[in-house]
Amino acid sequence: MSDLEQPPADPDEVISSPGIDMFVPGHAPTNAPLNERKQARRENWRLIRRRPAFLFGVFILTVWVICALLGERITPHDPLDFRAGSHLSPRWEFPFGTDATGRDVLSRVMAGARDVLRIAPLAAFLGVLFGVILGMLMGYLRGWFDTVASRIVEAFLALPVVLIALLAVTTLGSSSWVVTGVVAALFTPIVARTVRSAVLAERDLDYVTSARLRGESNLFIMFREVLPNVMGPIVVELTVRVGYAVFTVATLSFIGAGPPPPSPDWGAQVSENYNSIISGFWWTTFFPAAAIASLVIAVNMIADSVQSVMEAS
Amino acid sequence: MRKFILQRLASIVVTLWLLATIVFMLVSVLPGDVGRKVLGPTAPKEDVAAFNAQLGTDKPLFEQYVKSMKRVFTLDFGTSYQTRSSVSDIIFPALGRSGKLAVLAFIFTIPISIFAGIYAARRKDKLADRVIVNAGLASSSIPEFVTAAVLLAVFAVELGWGKAFANPPDGTSLFGQLEYLWLPAMAMAIAYFGYIARMTRAGVITALNADYTRTATMKGMSSSQVMRRHILRNALAPTITVISVQIGYLIGAVIGVERVFNYSGLGSTMLGAVGAHDVPVLQGAVLLVGIVYMLSTLLADLLIAFLNPRVRLETTR
Repeated sequence: MSDLEQPPADPDEVISSPGIDMFVPGHAPTNAPLNERKQARRENWRLIRRRPAFLFGVFILTVWVICALLGERITPHDPLDFRAGSHLSPRWEFPFGTDATGRDVLSRVMAGARDVLRIAPLAAFLGVLFGVILGMLMGYLRGWFDTVASRIVEAFLALPVVLIALLAVTTLGSSSWVVTGVVAALFTPIVARTVRSAVLAERDLDYVTSARLRGESNLFIMFREVLPNVMGPIVVELTVRVGYAVFTVATLSFIGAGPPPPSPDWGAQVSENYNSIISGFWWTTFFPAAAIASLVIAVNMIADSVQSVMEAS
Repeated sequence: MRKFILQRLASIVVTLWLLATIVFMLVSVLPGDVGRKVLGPTAPKEDVAAFNAQLGTDKPLFEQYVKSMKRVFTLDFGTSYQTRSSVSDIIFPALGRSGKLAVLAFIFTIPISIFAGIYAARRKDKLADRVIVNAGLASSSIPEFVTAAVLLAVFAVELGWGKAFANPPDGTSLFGQLEYLWLPAMAMAIAYFGYIARMTRAGVITALNADYTRTATMKGMSSSQVMRRHILRNALAPTITVISVQIGYLIGAVIGVERVFNYSGLGSTMLGAVGAHDVPVLQGAVLLVGIVYMLSTLLADLLIAFLNPRVRLETTR
């Protein structure tokens, strides 16, 4: 089944890549010497790059990253300038129309990429980092630590993420650092559970036993021996979490726990404007909503491609 | 079997206690004086102090914690700081309203997404499969409030096929309520289409390649019989798990959808309680979501064991 999921090998590439015959793609032994592992990684990367969904996702993501990096330097108008007429419908000068206070929606959508792209990837990375550490300790050490931590993780999983984030942001204020930290903290137990089960499958294998007999410290075994072998699920988890982080950050700013008003954040724009849909001003809500959707879909297409290739191997 | 259920119930109690503690910890560090927040900035100082004394929010934290845990385990959620009415009278009707929305969403989404998943699995890697997989990916990755806002603009405003305010007036017949509820339910249904369809697809693909399917086909069973008796029974287990995990989520995290449609379900209740610092309502609502979530996962496990007795044998072996 896993063979069917991979596109057939391209003969040109087989020739152009030295050493391809040394291993079967996707079946590289996990504790193989370093250069073979590197080759397996290169092979995965080649398979990922061939997927149209991946390229499409990268294209959209790149557009938003450019908007976020250049911001006001490339927007057609100043995103905070309210001198245009209010609620102008989309036209040549304002392709996405203007909002209730006469600001250009296109410029605000372009500048709004910055807030979410500054918060979501960092939050996902931190969540995965802490999740890996926690999950590694739980799965490797077992015993009372695992029992207690598993219960707490389970309790966290039963909580609606958005609600707890909202609660915490209300408590600690809605600066972007707080939002980043809260989202990271909420992702930690989810990632920890995945990593824990991956580590459980590894901890009784021979290479761990022999490292223990060699007298290596627990810390060394966990992070130098076991970690490289559970990197697959961790990479998948990271890409998936970035998508969820965008989702969560947008939802948080929609329910009022995002950056404060003049900022052109997408969720905040939807929240400010959805009540005027009823009066027929659909564009002020539609374009930021579509921007959120396009970014989440792009990230998920990338995540999905990474996942299918990683799981096939 | 009985041992399994008892064990699960015991673990539910422990998890609930932890849940209550987490919520207590989060809300008790919320800054600000509860009495001041509830009574408003112009209320006299003495009134605020009296109010705090009456609620017990001036007591040490540990004392408040013990009291609040006692309430949780007697299922008495106390009285709302804000309206001074019983929390149960607020959260249970709200749960009922959210539940109505969730049931309608499931009625919309389950048959279509399971059918789409089976269809995609049988045409794996063909155009129809690609379309269903990518539509599912898109549908489950767009935040619900975005879908809700677009549905609101297109259907309720442009076409006039639904209501922008989803609260039906009192005394509306069950059928009449549909006109109010179908749009928010649709927003939730779209969000869950992706999860359920993809899970079903994966399960059916595994079952289609299994030995027992080949055996059944080779002994001459008709393909519809193989599908019903062999493939679906096995393939639906992960789907049922996903649906049950989504039930808690559906009821708890529909905050966005309920806000867009101004619907007064559990999500709006929680959102309002956070803003007003109404700890008892918040705690009650979150615990209720937790209970619903855990009971639905337990039910799903039992249903899977019922559908496929081999699951039960495997766990006891």
